[in-house]
Amino acid sequence: MDNIMTLKPGKYTLETFAKHRGLKRQSALNLLSKLKKQGLLQVAGGGRQKRIYTISDTPGEPTNGFYDIVNKYSPEKLIPKFRHHVVGRYTIEHAIVDGIQIGDIRTLEATMHLFRHISSWKRLFYLARKRGVEKELHALYTAARKRVKCKAVPRRYQP
Amino acid sequence: MIGTKDQEELFRLIADYLDRDLVCVAIGGTAMMFSGYKNATKDIDLVFASEGERKAFVRAIEQLGYRQRGLMDVYTQERRKKEGKPQLYARGEERFDLFVRSVFGFPIATKEIVERRDFLGKKELLIRILPKEDLILLKAVTGREKDFEDIEALTGSGKDVDWERVVEQAIRGKKGNEWILLDLEQTMQRLRKKAFIPQKYFDRLYEAQE
Repeated sequence: MDNIMTLKPGKYTLETFAKHRGLKRQSALNLLSKLKKQGLLQVAGGGRQKRIYTISDTPGEPTNGFYDIVNKYSPEKLIPKFRHHVVGRYTIEHAIVDGIQIGDIRTLEATMHLFRHISSWKRLFYLARKRGVEKELHALYTAARKRVKCKAVPRRYQP
Repeated sequence: MIGTKDQEELFRLIADYLDRDLVCVAIGGTAMMFSGYKNATKDIDLVFASEGERKAFVRAIEQLGYRQRGLMDVYTQERRKKEGKPQLYARGEERFDLFVRSVFGFPIATKEIVERRDFLGKKELLIRILPKEDLILLKAVTGREKDFEDIEALTGSGKDVDWERVVEQAIRGKKGNEWILLDLEQTMQRLRKKAFIPQKYFDRLYEAQE
């Protein structure tokens, strides 16, 4: 446990981590595995890519909110302004409304691409009405229609 | 005491009992647990934007068996006299401290957040989490037993803390809570034994006090 407590946060490969800790390859892997279980480590890469291990000093669960959805579906990627965790069912429609509420130009541009993946217009307009952003939603949809190939909104939801 | 997992499940349950969507700010141990600084907390501190929102939350937790209790054993007499004191609701070992707009006169800014937790049940409960500098300041203001330990956990060696922000926020909050500068100075003096805090921030506090 002492070992773990004195770890320096940062990015490592297996080799640099083993060298830094003065461990053999297998011992380093074992320690990394322990850290992962404690939520102090995130891994990127694998397969043909070299694995990069990011060690942090506070345990953090992976996010599953707005930024994860946008960065999955939109070609314009965003750096998160905040960590967003969701418990419950968070859909594309929730993400569009959140994008409108965050409201800066980069976020809106990235959010436009989510209109391609809508599964329930009813839910989208219900959420927009509930949060008072119906006008902004229509404006964003109109802009998105000109730039992104996206589905037509059903007539009953047209302004 | 309530653990991280229990706390998440409790909020999810409350979201099912709410009669309207709510947004609130988590401070204290709750925020620390969400940010990974702590595994358990005695009380769940939440700040609401209006009395109406607090009432809506209270309606939900009352259905779950939480009952109002007094501030007597929890906060000092000095703090009980201040504006912006909380309403306390408890059920067994778990307790909610529910504030509206301010924490003992220190106004809560909700725009700058580092994290958001959404609990989507029948209704939505969105919990915003403030930067750690704000949490340090609020812990200094509430000054309960164990708060100093939490401040130590948040501060670490002191290098990662934006002390400029802590001090400036305290100076801004001086109007609503005249003790805030004293509370913060006391806390920073105690912290100084373990963490590095440059002298200039103490000087800034002394200047503001005059």
